[in-house]
Amino acid sequence: MAAYLSMGEAHRRITDYLGRFSDAVSSQDVASLKHILSLSSNSASLLSLADALNLLQDANRLIKQSDRFSQFAEIVAPLFRCIQNYRLGNLVDAYPAYEKAANAFIQEFRNWDSAWALEALYVIAYEIRVLAERADRELSANGKSPEKLKAAGSFLMKVFGVLAGKGPKRVGALYVTCQLFKVYFKLGTVHLCRSVIRSIETARIFDFEEFPQRDKVTYMYYTGRLEVYNENFTAADQKLSYALAHCNPHSEANIRMILKYLIPVKLSIGILPTDWLLEKYNLVEYRNIVQALKRGDLRLLRSALEAHEDRFLRSGVYLVLEKLELQVYQRLLKKIYIIQKQKDPSKAHQMKLEVIIKALRWLGIDMDLDEVECIVAILIHKNLVKGYFAHKSKVVVLSKQDPFPKLMGKPVNA
Amino acid sequence: MERRQNPQQQRNPRRNPPPPSSSSHSSNHRSRYRPPNRAGGDARAHHRGDSYLDSRDAAAGDQPRSVVRPMPLHASEAATRSSIGGHDQDREDERDCRELASVVGTCPHMCPVGEMAQRERLRDLAVFERLHGNPAKTSPKLAVKKFCRTISTKHGQSSDIRPFSVLGSTLDYLMSLMNSAAEPFETVHDFIFDRTRSIRQDLSMQNIVDKRVIHMYEKMVNFHVISHHKLRLRSSGPDSFNISSLHHLNMEQLAKVLTSLYNLYDLNRDHNSVVHKNEPEYRSLYVLLCLNSESLPEGERLSLWFRRVPSPVIKSKEMSFARRILRYFRMGNYSRFFSTIAAEASYLQYCALEPYIDKVRALAVLCINNGGYKLHPYPMAHLSNLLMMEESEVESFCNACGLETSLDEQGNKVLPTKQPAFNHPKAGYGEYGFSGLENICRGREAEENV
Repeated sequence: MAAYLSMGEAHRRITDYLGRFSDAVSSQDVASLKHILSLSSNSASLLSLADALNLLQDANRLIKQSDRFSQFAEIVAPLFRCIQNYRLGNLVDAYPAYEKAANAFIQEFRNWDSAWALEALYVIAYEIRVLAERADRELSANGKSPEKLKAAGSFLMKVFGVLAGKGPKRVGALYVTCQLFKVYFKLGTVHLCRSVIRSIETARIFDFEEFPQRDKVTYMYYTGRLEVYNENFTAADQKLSYALAHCNPHSEANIRMILKYLIPVKLSIGILPTDWLLEKYNLVEYRNIVQALKRGDLRLLRSALEAHEDRFLRSGVYLVLEKLELQVYQRLLKKIYIIQKQKDPSKAHQMKLEVIIKALRWLGIDMDLDEVECIVAILIHKNLVKGYFAHKSKVVVLSKQDPFPKLMGKPVNA
Repeated sequence: MERRQNPQQQRNPRRNPPPPSSSSHSSNHRSRYRPPNRAGGDARAHHRGDSYLDSRDAAAGDQPRSVVRPMPLHASEAATRSSIGGHDQDREDERDCRELASVVGTCPHMCPVGEMAQRERLRDLAVFERLHGNPAKTSPKLAVKKFCRTISTKHGQSSDIRPFSVLGSTLDYLMSLMNSAAEPFETVHDFIFDRTRSIRQDLSMQNIVDKRVIHMYEKMVNFHVISHHKLRLRSSGPDSFNISSLHHLNMEQLAKVLTSLYNLYDLNRDHNSVVHKNEPEYRSLYVLLCLNSESLPEGERLSLWFRRVPSPVIKSKEMSFARRILRYFRMGNYSRFFSTIAAEASYLQYCALEPYIDKVRALAVLCINNGGYKLHPYPMAHLSNLLMMEESEVESFCNACGLETSLDEQGNKVLPTKQPAFNHPKAGYGEYGFSGLENICRGREAEENV
């Protein structure tokens, strides 16, 4: 990229950019404005502007040249600094400059009555987050404490505040909310989502149905995930199912992301996905788990969890999947019951604990009498098995009616 | 923005030509935006007190920092934001500390000379600081710098701040007081709690975050974890209310110190991502403290917490223990829960999970009572083995659960099942031991941890 750049050409490029900016604002051309503010697009025009700025070094003079440009100085001057740093790969300095420009932009935005510039604001919200993430990566790589993403979170809250009013701009609030979710999830400060969720869901100025569909889907996806982490499976099912139902059917990547969390939820309430679904969206890590539930195969469940341990831990569904063990036990006991019924229907409802131990040993799992009795006691307590156990005779006596109640779409009792 | 004051602008209220479809005629488009009153809490106001608040905001904001308080998220949190101030004050201290350019302390004693003299005058000396029991006299060997809530960093002098080496020996001295039998444990705890907080304050102000500090934080965690255990033992006496609030505050502080410790581990990780020697055990403590997700209301859900644990820690023996205990707890597998603790827990791990032991025992008794055959009362000897309790204690435990015991034909104690009156024992109902505890303690002495 060592093409020779003359001062005159540099001048021209910068003035050209300033002109486009001011024209975009005065004619309310949001499409052009979006393009101008988007750093991560790495567009050729942006890069060529960056070269020009780095050559000229004193763009402020050009900004002050005319009223047409100088009215936007507080936005454009830091934006130029950002672009220069960005081009040089110095993200740690690019971020604060962009934030300064963005801050000046929202001051202007507040004064504009209509919501014409909302999509430009979306670009800013997005760029703030993405720049901050990159800046933090740079900081960490240099052994310093990453802090830009935290700052981005604060800034986005400010933007949220600007949009949270009675006017037409309020439909933008959900987009900003979703950017905030992404920030908080990345930082691990997920509890901060609570306040903004509360604003969206309880404030009278917001009507959820008014928001753009795309934002509603994203919002339900993230709040659904939060319900998964909090193990509120009914709420998680509702939200993630909403996201799935309203998601663009051609967007396979998004559907996959939703299913990644919806499947463990459905499994927890006793609903199994088909193999076809798992294959189509490349979610084969769940295949053995589904099999284990169908067969009552405890060994298969444990080995499947181990095989994909990292993946499940990173996505945060490991603990949910681990708890499926109780349902696997239920299935195993049911199978033993069915076999016993075939042999001798009159005695089928009595199951020796020894038989259960044998079945488990056959699966390669060692369990002593105490533990088997304990498991049986727990299954009875959680209503996965109806009956009682007799300690002295080491037997579990099953109810003659419906000894293995189905979950019926409800999670196992806590 | 100053441009708004521009008379030319004021003649022309709208800075842009009105778009054709505009129908808004708000008369206050030039006034400052005010967030509407929201029933559930104003998102912006809440954020102002948040630790992730950009410090610039606070400085430029409407309210003086010390008055800023986040809105309580629910009643229990409101209760813990007591007059002591807890969370928010610490975050503000940290923020203050970061903003001050790193100072290097020069105070050679455990307590700055000025503070010593002042506290002698005011007779504000803790029991451990009194020379020959004199409430108005102390000495450099006894006085330890107090935690200062309203520290003003602008007036903080380097002669009041202790350098790293002094902080290290101060901490060792404080740790040596832990087994002091002269005073009731609450008094010991209170003193060490406050003085270690001051140590962390001095460390923060000097921005010391390298490897040397890790061992100090580990020792402070030890203090809080062992207090977690010892305070619980004392929570059924006449002072039980005070002690249980001490216990709660200790838990809060423990969570904070642990979080700081984890940050230190992350910050000081080598590029080949070798974990620090003790990191697996100290990470496992978080899991054991949070077996029940409600125990740390502001704590991260474990599902989220695990995401950021480094892989070598996940695969470690200590974390594997913690995760198995978590699994047994969540599934209600009381059989393995107790046997695994007896077989594998370190002393610190035991102290961390101790509050759950009685919960699981109650669950076991509940399940046995509900699911056991009426004509086969459950042998208490067996129950005591299962629950790792002395037989005498099992009996009293069952009674605390509202259940009666009786004798069988051979004169053995049994628990009749299907009793209708089960209730969960009330908190602080008593101290029940743990049969394997001596082995665990012996293991600890062998480790010479502290």
